Amino acid sequence: MTALGKVYGQTSAQFAAEAVRLAVADAGLGLADVDGLLTSSGVTGGISIDLQRDLGLRDLRLLSHLQAYGSTAGAMVQFASMAVMSGTASVVACVFADSPLQPEVSAGAVYGSRRAPAGWWGLLGASGVIGANPMYALAARRHMDRFGTTSEQLGHIAVAQRDWAGLNPAAQLRDPITVADHQASRWIVEPFHLLDCCLVSNGGVAVIVTTAERATSLAQAPVYVLGWAQSHPGRYLRRNTDFGLVSGAATAGPAALAMAQREVADVDVVELYDCYTFTVLLTLEDYGFCPKGEGGPFAASGVLGPAGKLPLNTGGGQLSGYYMWGMTPLSEAIIQARGSGGARQAAVHDTVLVSGNGGVLDHHSTLVLASEAGAR
Amino acid sequence: MSVGPVQRDAATAEFFDGTAAGRFLLRRCPAGHVSEPAVTQCTICPSTELDWVEAGGGATLVSWAVTWSRSSDGDKPRRTILVIGELDEGPWWWTQLGGDIDPEAAALAAGRRLRVAFERADAEHEAVPVFVLA
Repeated sequence: MTALGKVYGQTSAQFAAEAVRLAVADAGLGLADVDGLLTSSGVTGGISIDLQRDLGLRDLRLLSHLQAYGSTAGAMVQFASMAVMSGTASVVACVFADSPLQPEVSAGAVYGSRRAPAGWWGLLGASGVIGANPMYALAARRHMDRFGTTSEQLGHIAVAQRDWAGLNPAAQLRDPITVADHQASRWIVEPFHLLDCCLVSNGGVAVIVTTAERATSLAQAPVYVLGWAQSHPGRYLRRNTDFGLVSGAATAGPAALAMAQREVADVDVVELYDCYTFTVLLTLEDYGFCPKGEGGPFAASGVLGPAGKLPLNTGGGQLSGYYMWGMTPLSEAIIQARGSGGARQAAVHDTVLVSGNGGVLDHHSTLVLASEAGAR
Repeated sequence: MSVGPVQRDAATAEFFDGTAAGRFLLRRCPAGHVSEPAVTQCTICPSTELDWVEAGGGATLVSWAVTWSRSSDGDKPRRTILVIGELDEGPWWWTQLGGDIDPEAAALAAGRRLRVAFERADAEHEAVPVFVLA
């Protein structure tokens, strides 16, 4: 991981190259060992397979740029795992970087600048539906309307993650908050307050995927990829669609756990994609940590946070830690599985469940990571 | 906030011809399936033989959200209610709720009946569909 947050003066490609160099060194490898590279870019783009040249990588056997929005990081690990299992490549670097923050320019101006003046997208913008905030707010309101979920219940997720962030030196927002603070924070798009929404960060994160055999002789304790799945429901957004009520996590989560020969009850640490508090709540339901529709009471039950029973988004997530899309939950999952979480380390961390979510609940990836190879 | 300016392009020309005449056009395939206007392939079957069919204009509320925008002259922020409406023909449409409505006083809830209406940012731009409470 590079420095993350309000870090200026580097392009996305520079962050990406630095992240790969750091990850390779962390693994005890050299750049010459890398024979596969998968790249992923954020809202500002600027990363492509040209990263191979920036890093001076020679004779790669796997090279692609992937885009599945917030589910890309999980997808990259899945494709990299398939590549090393098939012998297509042996050491695959997967990298994401972004640099939306500029001095003197608001993050909203960067994220809002994609508005199109013509055509179907222009019509959506002219109608007032601009960017992710209103779309996720519409999803959350539907859940509230159907199941009685409340803003205060979402606030418990924000508070719990801030408490975790206070234990993470790399987190951008570390001062404790209360549910009252959450309720008092300004509206972004009702029903979302400011403290329901993720950060914006500059930086890069890379992970190295190799065979289990090779990983045992490298510098770090291996983290095993036991299961994975993707789900892209392709909703028609018409009568009876489950937008806001069920996401692809309901399909990908059980599939990934089945591949890993694990059940929800076996999961020790959960790292969920959290563009909004609501995304966490919906994913908890979809993965089966609580029954459908009961995510609100579950979040408010005291189960979350460093004092709770379910270690969830232990680095503060994207709400309070850093916003590196799917690399935020993935990087924290690896830290926890290794046992290197310091003050925020979960006591038991054998099995870690990781989610990625992209679009407006349109794309999902799940990973099951473990500190030990093989079955329970 | 009211609707913003939008221009037509090749893909939206017929749709905006419709909105200019106060008609909300949907796509229909030979099997009679009705899809949202932006599709190039029927959302029920793979047909690409799509013609236009006018929506009846009735809809029901699926979800709503409230945005706040600051006006440039420093007046207090203006509230816009964004809604997903399910047209009686099946497709959903995402737009704003026209009229100066207080969302609490209106007691919005899924299933509330809506009706399609049209607004323009100005005379030089296209008419944009909105929903109003029926």
